[in-house]
Amino acid sequence: MTEHTAYRVVHETRYTYSDTVTSAHQLGHLRPRATPWQKIKSHKLIIAPKPVEQVIGNDYFGNEVLRFMIDTPHDELTVRAESVVDVESHAPDAAAGSPEWEQGRLAPGVWGPAVDLDIEEFRVPSPMAPVSDEALEYGRASFTSGRPWLEAMLDLTTRIQKDFVYDPKATTVTTKVSEVFALRRGVCQDFAHLMISCLRSLGLPARYVSGYILNRPKQGAARVVGADASHAWVAGHCPEHGWIAFDPTNGKLADIEFITLGWGREFSDVTPLRGVVLGAATQTLAVEVKVQPL
Amino acid sequence: MLEEMLATYPEPQGRFDELFEARMQPRPHWSRFLSELSAASPSGIRERLLAAERRIRDSGVTYNVYADPMGHDRPWDLDVLPLIIAPDEWQQLEAGIAQRASLFNRVLGDLYGEQSLLKEGLIPPSLILGQSGFLRPARGMRVPGGIHLHVYAADLARSPDGRWWVMADRTQAPSGAGYALENRLVVSRTFPALYRDLGIQHVARFFATLRDSLMQFAPRGDGQTLTVLLTPGPYNETYFEHALLARYLGFPLVEGGDLTVREGRVWLKTIGGLKRVHAILRRQDDNYCDPVELRADSALGVAGLMDCARRGSVLIANALGSGVLESGALLGFLPRLSEHLLGQPLQLPSIATWWCGEAAAQADALEHYQKLVFKPADPGQGFETIFGQDLDERGLATLRKKLAAHPERFVAQELVRLSQAPVLVKGQSEKIAARNIGLRVFAVASPNGYVVMPGGLTRVASSADVRVVSMQRGGGSKDTWVMSAGPVDSSFTLLRNTVTATDLVRVRAGIPSRVIENLFWFGRYQERCDDTARLLRVALNQKLQETEDEENALTPILALTRAFGVLEDEEKDADIDVALMGASTLETHPLGLPANLRALERVAFNLRDRMSLDNWRTINGLIKDPVFGRKATLSDTLNWLDRNVTSLMTLSGFALDGMTRDDGWLFLSIGRRIERLAFQCLALHVAFRNSSDSGLGWLLSLADSAVTYRSRYMARPEWLPVLDLLILDGANPRSVVFQTGGIAADLAKLELNYGACGSDLLAAEVAALKKINPARDLQPDNAQLRNTIDALRHTAFSISDHLTQRFFNLARTSIWATLGM
Repeated sequence: MTEHTAYRVVHETRYTYSDTVTSAHQLGHLRPRATPWQKIKSHKLIIAPKPVEQVIGNDYFGNEVLRFMIDTPHDELTVRAESVVDVESHAPDAAAGSPEWEQGRLAPGVWGPAVDLDIEEFRVPSPMAPVSDEALEYGRASFTSGRPWLEAMLDLTTRIQKDFVYDPKATTVTTKVSEVFALRRGVCQDFAHLMISCLRSLGLPARYVSGYILNRPKQGAARVVGADASHAWVAGHCPEHGWIAFDPTNGKLADIEFITLGWGREFSDVTPLRGVVLGAATQTLAVEVKVQPL
Repeated sequence: MLEEMLATYPEPQGRFDELFEARMQPRPHWSRFLSELSAASPSGIRERLLAAERRIRDSGVTYNVYADPMGHDRPWDLDVLPLIIAPDEWQQLEAGIAQRASLFNRVLGDLYGEQSLLKEGLIPPSLILGQSGFLRPARGMRVPGGIHLHVYAADLARSPDGRWWVMADRTQAPSGAGYALENRLVVSRTFPALYRDLGIQHVARFFATLRDSLMQFAPRGDGQTLTVLLTPGPYNETYFEHALLARYLGFPLVEGGDLTVREGRVWLKTIGGLKRVHAILRRQDDNYCDPVELRADSALGVAGLMDCARRGSVLIANALGSGVLESGALLGFLPRLSEHLLGQPLQLPSIATWWCGEAAAQADALEHYQKLVFKPADPGQGFETIFGQDLDERGLATLRKKLAAHPERFVAQELVRLSQAPVLVKGQSEKIAARNIGLRVFAVASPNGYVVMPGGLTRVASSADVRVVSMQRGGGSKDTWVMSAGPVDSSFTLLRNTVTATDLVRVRAGIPSRVIENLFWFGRYQERCDDTARLLRVALNQKLQETEDEENALTPILALTRAFGVLEDEEKDADIDVALMGASTLETHPLGLPANLRALERVAFNLRDRMSLDNWRTINGLIKDPVFGRKATLSDTLNWLDRNVTSLMTLSGFALDGMTRDDGWLFLSIGRRIERLAFQCLALHVAFRNSSDSGLGWLLSLADSAVTYRSRYMARPEWLPVLDLLILDGANPRSVVFQTGGIAADLAKLELNYGACGSDLLAAEVAALKKINPARDLQPDNAQLRNTIDALRHTAFSISDHLTQRFFNLARTSIWATLGM
């Protein structure tokens, strides 16, 4: 029987505004995505103040998207998502065999008579995960000629973890991959974009995955409530095994400890919460994520 | 005569010549035009040219260029000689354009729907998926009537063999149709007889089709169908055209901030509340239309518009995401797409174009690079066009390297030798020269298929040796005359469309709040300019007459110039004459006349679609006056001030006599009254403290009341009658009572529709004015009178603040994007 774990995830976002906001349009990617290895047991949203309209739909990538609008004046907006999910182990063995990475590669002007758009969509560059000489060069060190795909991917994943320092103060949500290369620092979002850039520069498709990771307490230490945050990692497409996820922040395959919210080409496609408010001068943002194994 | 004019007309040198088929042998469809020209005298031609130039200047036709260091306006450059196209030739073009439009509409439907063209490899997937213009959130949207592409334009060029080719397709928000209309209005009046006799097809029906089709396709419900024209604002390079089209089509001209999304629908913010919008003709680029789902940094957009588009609750022309087809990389794939989607061969060919992303094309392009131009495959990721023939060895090596690294970013296109057409040479209008031209033609979707404008915008290269024609690069334009095969359907003009009694609109509903604010400030600045000009005139005249009996008057006048801010502090303006003259003509004085005229111009600029052209012409006349912004002699300065007073009076006349008395007019009126009342109170305030009984003439001339005074009293000005005339006389439009009553009446009218608007703020002062007893109170040192006048001035400004709070803030909310984690 496949190993599996159930989690309760609470994700709370709070905006505090310096002046009264008269209306707000928001768009959220907050409901975990159902996949063959991930089942959604329950999902609840609590929004304050109460939206005048609230609609759920699907985005271009098949993720569930929440749209809501608030037209009562407010100084603070809170969006709390509570989900219970069950995740099965699904990653391949790190030592499993895989075809040469070149088999998954395609040059931009080459396309077959039968195109799988679900793959091609992620091969083209996007604004925050572009292709560049720098990314190509960095990626090539792992993707040597004829190397098995899985081996090369793991190598790139662990190299990023080793070469780059996790530093929440170094970057912002709009930091470019080229800056991350120069800084050698960043957070999960930066490392995911950087890895995707490397893969796309090599002609390989790569997805940005948004979600949560279980924050295991160190031996003897108590679990710190609120120490978790939303996380991001990368999925690559193996010609044989399909989409497989890697976490460059932690240098490993993404498996049972990862709860997937959704995926897109980059952060901006699956931002947990984004929107436009009318009337505020400045805003402060506080995010709290709790991931509890059940 | 004609031979003289054409003496220096150049040989085509391998180009196609629109005018001649051989040396001095005109093509048949040009012969009538030429013989008419040759019959005219040089002075006759010059007269027509001057008249045409005046028409352009008067109607304020401009093209704004972002990069123009000279500021916002460049006059429209129109050559009065039209480009004439023969009927049979046009029929082919027309059919080809309509076919292309249908094809593009089908392609858009697929790309934002099934995507079978990508899945089957008819278009390289990476070509579309990697395009910044491909809007993923737009996939699956329900476009009303199944139409993505409502307005389409193609840029055509004629090759040396006489064939027309498409150089580029405009599928997002094509510009130029309005300029074509303006050109037609000017040129058809320049050659009225020829225009009629040659049987030139009219373009008006095209615009009517656009207006009616949008209405037909738009979703229904919530009363009368409302279509708006969405503009990025007055600083857009083609804003003039937006304003012109809005006026011509009868659509409110709105900016993103004027619209809001509620309940999945789009609404226009008006002073009367929210009005449902059914259709949006947009001149705003795709990516800037919705900060929630598209570019988060766009302050121009409408939050939630993308969602409305997906629901199909509003028609957007063109549909969001249609810009993706503007990539030249698609051109090479069109013949196959036409066969596949329409089952027909592509009728109007595109210029030979290769997407370098295809390996074979890349090699080919490099081999023939000298005959090619290289352009970005993604118009949103622009770089300058590279001309192969200009490349030296180093340039070529760089291109090779770039192409090898990212071939998919490049399009290689054959360099066309553009045809040449006759133009009248500026300055020496008897001479006809030749310039390279391109032609932009337009099509609009209708329930009966695509309708092509019979004509278009002919674009003219800026000089004889320029290879590309571009408005942004300073090119000019021409009217395009399409001769008709049969009789011209002239029964039709847009203005005489069938309006039934139920369509009658008495007062324009739904004036955007932003427009109301601009009208209010138009009123205020207009009056402020008038006050400033009069004050400076009185001050300078006083300086001239210093020796006469009113010597005391200079003190209060100068005190007023300082209190009003026209002159700054005393030290800085040591030489009063220089300071007064500077404030009259130089822009460096922050509250001087030119600075106020600029402010007036800015507001008028924002109102160009609302006000008659006469307003614009009048203000333009002052701004373009030779004295404006320059040092001038005393007599030139005084004449200039006179011109200002007259022109500003003319503006008031337009407002009084020419504007519909709708709510917008009320705001303009209140703005003027508030400014005038505040100024009059300030003048009185200063006079009370600085004037002697003997020197009150200045106060009367400032208030334009000297003549009245003289006719009534035949005596030197004295306090009692002067104050009676300026404060209590309800028949004097400059009096305090007159303006106070006027504001109260205007506010009362507003309050009928909108509830409390601040008239209560005036109540105390109105009562105080009524209590004034002339015999007892009309004295400069009467404390109660002084207090009442000062309080009124404050109240005037309070009312302004109140209206701002109540009506304008809706239009002025700031937008903040919240990008969270």
